[in-house]
Amino acid sequence: MVSTKLYTAIYAVLFVSATVQVLVEFAGLSYWLAFGVIMVLSAAKAVLVAAYFQHLRFEPRSLTYLVGIGLVAALALTLAASYSLL
Amino acid sequence: MTDASPGGDAAADGGHEVARGGDDHDFPGTGSIKRWFVTTNHKDVGILYIVTSLFFLVLGGVLAWLMRIQLLAPRALGEGILAPVAYNQAVSAHGLLMVFWFLSPFAFGFANYVVPLQLGAKDLAFPRLNALSYWLYLFSGILFGVSFFQGGTFSGGWTMYAPLNVPTFTPDVGASTAVLALVLFVASVTVSSVNFLTTMHRMRAEGLTLRNVPLFSWTILLTAWMMLFAFAALLAALLVLSSDRLLGTTYFAMESPAGALLWTHLFWFFGHPEVYIVFFPALGVMAEVFQTFPGRRIVGRKWFILAMVLVAIQSFAVWMHHMFLTSINLQVKTLFMITTIGISLPFDLMVFALIYTMLKGKIRFTTPFLFVFGALLLFIIGGITGVFLGAVVLDYEFRGTYWVVAHFHYVMVGGVTALVGGLYYWFPKMTGRMYDEFLGKLHFAVYFVGFNLLYFPLFVAWETPRRVFDYAPELAPWHQLATVGGFVLGLSFLIMFYNLFKSAFVGDPAPDNPWEYATTAEWAVSSPPPLENFDGTPTYRDGHLEFIDDGEVAPSEERSGGPTGAAVSDGGVTASATRAVTADAELPTAEATEVEGPSHASIWPFVLSAGAFLVLLGLSPLQDAAFPEGMVGAAYATTAVAGGVVTLGSLVAMGLEPFHGPVFEEGEAWPFAGIDNGKVGMWIFLASDVVLFGGFLGAYVFTRVAFGWTGWEPIPSDPIPGLVNTYILLTSSFTVVLALVAAEKKHKWGLVTSLGATFVLGIGFLVNKGLEWQHLFHEGLWLSTNVRASTFFLTTGLHAAHVIAGLVVALYLTARAWRGAYLEDSRSVEYFGLYWHFVDIVWLFLFPLFYIL
Ligand code: HEM
Ligand SMILES: [Cu+2]
Repeated sequence: MVSTKLYTAIYAVLFVSATVQVLVEFAGLSYWLAFGVIMVLSAAKAVLVAAYFQHLRFEPRSLTYLVGIGLVAALALTLAASYSLL
Repeated sequence: MTDASPGGDAAADGGHEVARGGDDHDFPGTGSIKRWFVTTNHKDVGILYIVTSLFFLVLGGVLAWLMRIQLLAPRALGEGILAPVAYNQAVSAHGLLMVFWFLSPFAFGFANYVVPLQLGAKDLAFPRLNALSYWLYLFSGILFGVSFFQGGTFSGGWTMYAPLNVPTFTPDVGASTAVLALVLFVASVTVSSVNFLTTMHRMRAEGLTLRNVPLFSWTILLTAWMMLFAFAALLAALLVLSSDRLLGTTYFAMESPAGALLWTHLFWFFGHPEVYIVFFPALGVMAEVFQTFPGRRIVGRKWFILAMVLVAIQSFAVWMHHMFLTSINLQVKTLFMITTIGISLPFDLMVFALIYTMLKGKIRFTTPFLFVFGALLLFIIGGITGVFLGAVVLDYEFRGTYWVVAHFHYVMVGGVTALVGGLYYWFPKMTGRMYDEFLGKLHFAVYFVGFNLLYFPLFVAWETPRRVFDYAPELAPWHQLATVGGFVLGLSFLIMFYNLFKSAFVGDPAPDNPWEYATTAEWAVSSPPPLENFDGTPTYRDGHLEFIDDGEVAPSEERSGGPTGAAVSDGGVTASATRAVTADAELPTAEATEVEGPSHASIWPFVLSAGAFLVLLGLSPLQDAAFPEGMVGAAYATTAVAGGVVTLGSLVAMGLEPFHGPVFEEGEAWPFAGIDNGKVGMWIFLASDVVLFGGFLGAYVFTRVAFGWTGWEPIPSDPIPGLVNTYILLTSSFTVVLALVAAEKKHKWGLVTSLGATFVLGIGFLVNKGLEWQHLFHEGLWLSTNVRASTFFLTTGLHAAHVIAGLVVALYLTARAWRGAYLEDSRSVEYFGLYWHFVDIVWLFLFPLFYIL
């Protein structure tokens, strides 16, 4: 499996990237550009946690798909509902 | 109780290998009252579900009679037997009771009883959680019953549309209680879905691939998947609503942007899958019975299954056809009209497959067949009238009329018709006795006439406005006809109750397989089956059902099947059933005493559910987060606290209780082969939690879009406390990882320290959040200040509740680790970690959305 060292490195990356998210906010980018960068960072962190801390990378792929289905359902609801307002 | 607990238990139940033998769960016989309170056996639980659901059928039916009496003539306010608000309550409670507390649980009674048998499993994966599902269901129903006595139950219709659903318009305490009862019901459903999905994917007998799983089990599998996701969305809706009612948030208030529309989205995202959730099991019964009595394997089995899978997926993409008259844009209406037409196509395929199967066989008109055949006819009428509603222009006319009422009663009660057929079909298996065939047929005749007399006139009188007791006088004859039909339909059940009750005691003894050509595995064991279902391990290795001796059992004896061969999976294999014991004449072995082997008794599911009941009852009178003044308020608060103690105590007791789930050798486990049951259960639960948070975040995004995205400022003016909490949570995730590493290396103190650190960090997170909230309150912000504040406090509050639930588990694990646990078997630590990391991930999105952007 994964060494404690790698876990520590991932933890450091997560820590830093959370900090970067706040810095991006104060960097004076346009709202939607900052929005994009921040959300991408969040997603990247989530993937790291799921892949290594929850060790989905080392499990049968079906578990990843399972979570993916939940995610798709949640996104479908959010996006379609928001779109219906426009 | 929080939704987190069931998943937390999933790790504790069934996943543990406690030292075998020697546990003293004395398991009383079926004649003992005690048995029914402690049982965790799937067959017992199935019977409990069926009996309880029939009780709610009677309750909902009586309410329907009251409405039908009121509707005998068009009434002005104050006329008739029901006062206006009483009428609204009757309408609402009737719908809620029938859909939630009767229809699905009735179907799941069969699922509980039959599915493990059809799979070749000895029980469900988590028997105690199965008992827990039942007791949560029962107590949620009792809670709903209590709501009638707290000023009046909910009166805003089963769809609970906003803003009628907030206290401004439905101020009674009972209305809140009804909503909380639904929350408890959803908890039951979630536990049940996780359990069924784990079981059905992981515990099939060797050789029983999904392709070959009998059709009833297939429908239950798809139903459980739909339930898992759809009910999570409903839970989001209900928790938001509970918060609006009890804590004073303003999501659905009149002054919130698009509050009413938000409810319709959340509700119907659940609601449309729900109509298939109630219908699929009925379809499964139809498929079984349509094969047994015409004596034919279903035509196009593969396509039938494919069509069902398609419908299950598509069911999540049609919900806005319930919203054609709201302010959603025309493009999206058109899109959902198309998806609605799309979903009716696979249904056509299924209907034709059933008809064709019937035509190609030689039908025997037994009671189950009659009911199921009737159900098909009713479903066809209901389906066709639904297609009318799916067209935007036609729906402009039909929306809110009795056309809709007639449509969904044809489909839903059509489903009930099939399930009643299922009750007759499996009655001999469950009781070991035959019902009276003549009375069964009589029941069908009266039922079918009553049904059409009741619902068909509603199509004719479609111009009657829905949920209103005043209508154009010239429609009165049709309504009178319907009322007569309502009584005929209701009274027809007396014949059934009499027949089944009497037959259960004095009917002819039923053989293993009273239905020639019935081919699924439940018919290969005695009626009723022994406590652990099979004498020996079932296998389909050679394409048909066989039982491998467990050792000292009597030598197996070959028996040849019926004329077409007793193919015991209906998957197309034809062969004979081999049974280890041929005890046809012997009566139930269910009471056989067992010395060792799996446990079947636990009182804690019952106690836990009672605790949860008390908590919710205690919280019901809250408004704006405050109890009423005086004695009454104090009594309610005490109830809530007492309930909390009982809930927590029984959770701990359940964790400590030595209980081993069914022994099982891994057979077919696609797609989760090689993953522990406990882990699969945990992930399935987490997938539903993804949808729960998805619902909350969806509500936030939706409201913010309606408000104007960029005009919306984050509530905390300063992101730093949030950033600190992000650091804390990330660190706590890291310590959980270290805990697991330590456990795997058998470092006791490494484990204890890491778990303890996780606990402390979690507390730190909560303290920091508490300080931040305190600060915001001092600035004059409160949950009810505006919808911006509501979304902030409620969404981060739900997350905090998840943290608290996690901390309870962390504390428990730390204490056990201190005493040396988890070094041999670290799975509990691992499963807790999965949950905790998930909570961490959620925060990774909440933080930017609520603090920075
Ligand atoms: C081909 C099949 C179907 C189509 C095209 C269809 C279409 C629709 C549409 C468009 C509505 C909304 C009507 C309105 O409120 O104006 C509706 C309502 C409803 N349908 Fe269906 N339906 C179908 C099958 C079913 C089935 C199988 C069930 C349940 C077993 C069902 C249960 C319901 C219920 C309960 C409502 C009423 C919801 C409410 O209270 O407002 N439908 N149907
Ligand atoms: Cu629908």
